[in-house]
Amino acid sequence: MKGVNENSAKIDDKGQLLRPSRPRTFKHPGKPNPIRIQSENSPQARHFRLAMAPGKSMFEALVEPLAKMKVYNASLTIFGGEYDSLSFCVAPPDPKKQAVIAYSKPIRAGKTQMIFGNATLGESMEGKPLVHCHAAILTGDGQIKGGHIITENSIIGAKTIFALVTSFDGIKLLQSFDPETNIALLQPVRGN
Amino acid sequence: MRFCSQLGEIDMGDFRAIEKGSMGRVAYARIAPNEDLVTGIEKLCLSEGFDNAFVRGALGSLVDACLENREGKYSRISGPAVEIVSIAGEVRSQDDGALVASLTGVVADTRGTIYGGSFVAGFNPICMTFEVTLEEWLPEV
Repeated sequence: MKGVNENSAKIDDKGQLLRPSRPRTFKHPGKPNPIRIQSENSPQARHFRLAMAPGKSMFEALVEPLAKMKVYNASLTIFGGEYDSLSFCVAPPDPKKQAVIAYSKPIRAGKTQMIFGNATLGESMEGKPLVHCHAAILTGDGQIKGGHIITENSIIGAKTIFALVTSFDGIKLLQSFDPETNIALLQPVRGN
Repeated sequence: MRFCSQLGEIDMGDFRAIEKGSMGRVAYARIAPNEDLVTGIEKLCLSEGFDNAFVRGALGSLVDACLENREGKYSRISGPAVEIVSIAGEVRSQDDGALVASLTGVVADTRGTIYGGSFVAGFNPICMTFEVTLEEWLPEV
């Protein structure tokens, strides 16, 4: 299995590592921010059980009902369910070297069963809703895969899919440019 | 019968199946590149003043992933980047004052192949970003 157990210091006859291999520290294009953990807290979370409607894109089915509840910043656990179509990306090294990694071109997984996923709802640099979602899936051709889900291009199948929403009051998750990694990332700030 | 856990063996005679409590504050954090996933979550709890917490959402990427498997063996999944698909786990305060995060999860390599296991503390450096939501757990004394 390529990609596993490379650079291992000590392995057994089945290729299993007998001790962890040393972590690699990567240099990014920009100067690191001395604050390594950017965090905000809220006195209490509000929770919702979200039903994502059949036939809609995952993005619409997630953003629209939550906006009606005035929820614009949240963390979601996406439960399993079937999608008529789904696209996802993986994250290999950036061939242009502008960042350490860059998302691949979208991979069409066809009619897909999502096993489960996690998502963050925040606000893009253009002031629009932004959903960052990673999930494990069973693709149309029977492979179990995982990666970054393109929620706008993933269409919910015939049955409703549910999610647990943990929303924050007083915290905004804003996409903003991060000089260190040279990409735009979701970062928490205080505000409603 | 004895259960083995990271915190040591628990004799069934003293086994307490239920800890009553309630949810307290919620924190969202972005942890930066080259910080460790496991100790990063522990440090987040320190900075937010959470003694105990549950992970309520987590996604991001690792340079490489190091997962502990059965029988105390390890798998290294090479990146960059290895995408963090999902994490389940908690942070618990210990009698000596330390905080310990116990985290298991699923990751995907640069071809989308997925792997699962327990994240080894100190061996899972973050690649681009790690977004995590923690909910404080307040056990009844």
